[in-house]
Amino acid sequence: MRPSTIKYLLREGLSGLRKNLLMTMASVVAVAACISILSFSYCVGSNLRHMLHQMEDSIGISVFLNGDLSGEEIETMKTEIGKIDHVVDVEYISPRDALDALKKEWGADEDIFEGLDDSNNPLSHSFQVSLDTIENQSSVLRVLQGMDGIDSIRHGQTETEFLLKVNRVFRVSSILVMLILGVISVMIIMNTIRISVANRRVEINIMKYVGATDWFIRLPFVIEGVIIGLIGAIIPLLLGMPIYAKIISAIYAYIPVIKFVQFRLMGEVFRFLLPFGVVFGGALGVIGSVTSIRKHLRV
Amino acid sequence: MIHLNNVTKTYPNGSVGVEGINLHIQKGEFVFIVGSSGSGKSTLIKLLLKELDPTSGDVMINMVKTNELNRSQVPYLRRNLGVVFQDFRLLPNKTVYENVAFAMRVIEAPSRTIRRNVPAVLSLVGLGQKSRSYPNELSGGEQQRTALARAIVNNPPILICDEPTGNLDPETARGIMQLLDDINKRGTTIVMATHAREIVDEMQKRVVTLQDGHIVRDVEKGGYSDEA
Repeated sequence: MRPSTIKYLLREGLSGLRKNLLMTMASVVAVAACISILSFSYCVGSNLRHMLHQMEDSIGISVFLNGDLSGEEIETMKTEIGKIDHVVDVEYISPRDALDALKKEWGADEDIFEGLDDSNNPLSHSFQVSLDTIENQSSVLRVLQGMDGIDSIRHGQTETEFLLKVNRVFRVSSILVMLILGVISVMIIMNTIRISVANRRVEINIMKYVGATDWFIRLPFVIEGVIIGLIGAIIPLLLGMPIYAKIISAIYAYIPVIKFVQFRLMGEVFRFLLPFGVVFGGALGVIGSVTSIRKHLRV
Repeated sequence: MIHLNNVTKTYPNGSVGVEGINLHIQKGEFVFIVGSSGSGKSTLIKLLLKELDPTSGDVMINMVKTNELNRSQVPYLRRNLGVVFQDFRLLPNKTVYENVAFAMRVIEAPSRTIRRNVPAVLSLVGLGQKSRSYPNELSGGEQQRTALARAIVNNPPILICDEPTGNLDPETARGIMQLLDDINKRGTTIVMATHAREIVDEMQKRVVTLQDGHIVRDVEKGGYSDEA
């Protein structure tokens, strides 16, 4: 295609948008709403997943053993637990290791543990069990609860389940809302393009008679749709970046307890979201304009 | 150049546009298609432009059977055909120059060719001085000259005119006919559907008369009807 042809098609596409400004704006707003929801659900969803990953790394399952087990029995148990499905690692923690870890954790206040040594250490033998994914925690727990020699088990089951449930509900509902908004955007774009086609009836008619190809006649309208989609995507995405950063720092500032949870950085989130959102917006534009052309542009 | 072999067009509602038409037009001819309203003139023009396909028979233009072309080939067929309508069909927001250049631009002609050919064709139709005017600043005759310039700027071998003088006063119409005659003398085949008895009588060209979808008369150099 000649550069002059490309310039011509772009100019025609833009002029179509200008002549039809109100509908253009309505379409941009519809796409922007869709992309906003997409961005919002991606931000929340990716942070939820991020938290779940952190929990996988940090929580795991702590298994505390009865005090009367021999070294050999402990060794056997370690092997058995290691054989459970979804268990990736079992680490043995002796009472002394546990005591050292406690002292370290308390730092300057470690003197409260003074007088405790191997002979009177009240802590028990334990295993730190790591899993492949957090979703499998409950099945592993079931097996552990059936084993002998275990005094108690500590795990983040309720928190995990809650987060998993939130994540699932959130994912399903945001996909639904996005689909509905996507369909609405496509329909509004279709209508905008339909009006644009009607505005240019005479032009299309002449183009047809002088032998313009079908695609030459259609392209300005596709360009219109793509421009609508891109503008509708870029605006909420660019606005979304500082808003995301502000919200995260506000959460850290006002809810100090939350500090142990790490949110994803703006750069991490938008590295994926920005290109994906732009492509998605452009795709809405193409779908809207092409369907409209198929319906309303007889060439 | 143009061959219609036993062409019939029946519309979906059952009415007959044309029936059993055999018409052969050679390169460089000037042919009037005359007949009253409903005689089949419009159907014939639409068949030539491939706006309609025949129900039976063949339409051949430039050795190509148009009824066998697929959609993507139609634009290339139409580049062989210039078209002029009664209602001019100019783009009101474009100047005379831009209206003519538009026809070249949409078939992706190089900018340099556009800059060379548009002024040449505008001076040929006598609008060299009006290239910056908008259609609403032109008289009917000037608008039709613009439409003519647009129709011939891509040098089509065939020019199809559907009542080109229908909206013009007799004097202006005569000027347009003079122009069409000049274009014809440069080698362009012209097919013109018209009601204008005086013009046909004056020009003394080939006249094909349609009635109820049939060709009832075809004379080499004649008037609108036999009485003339």
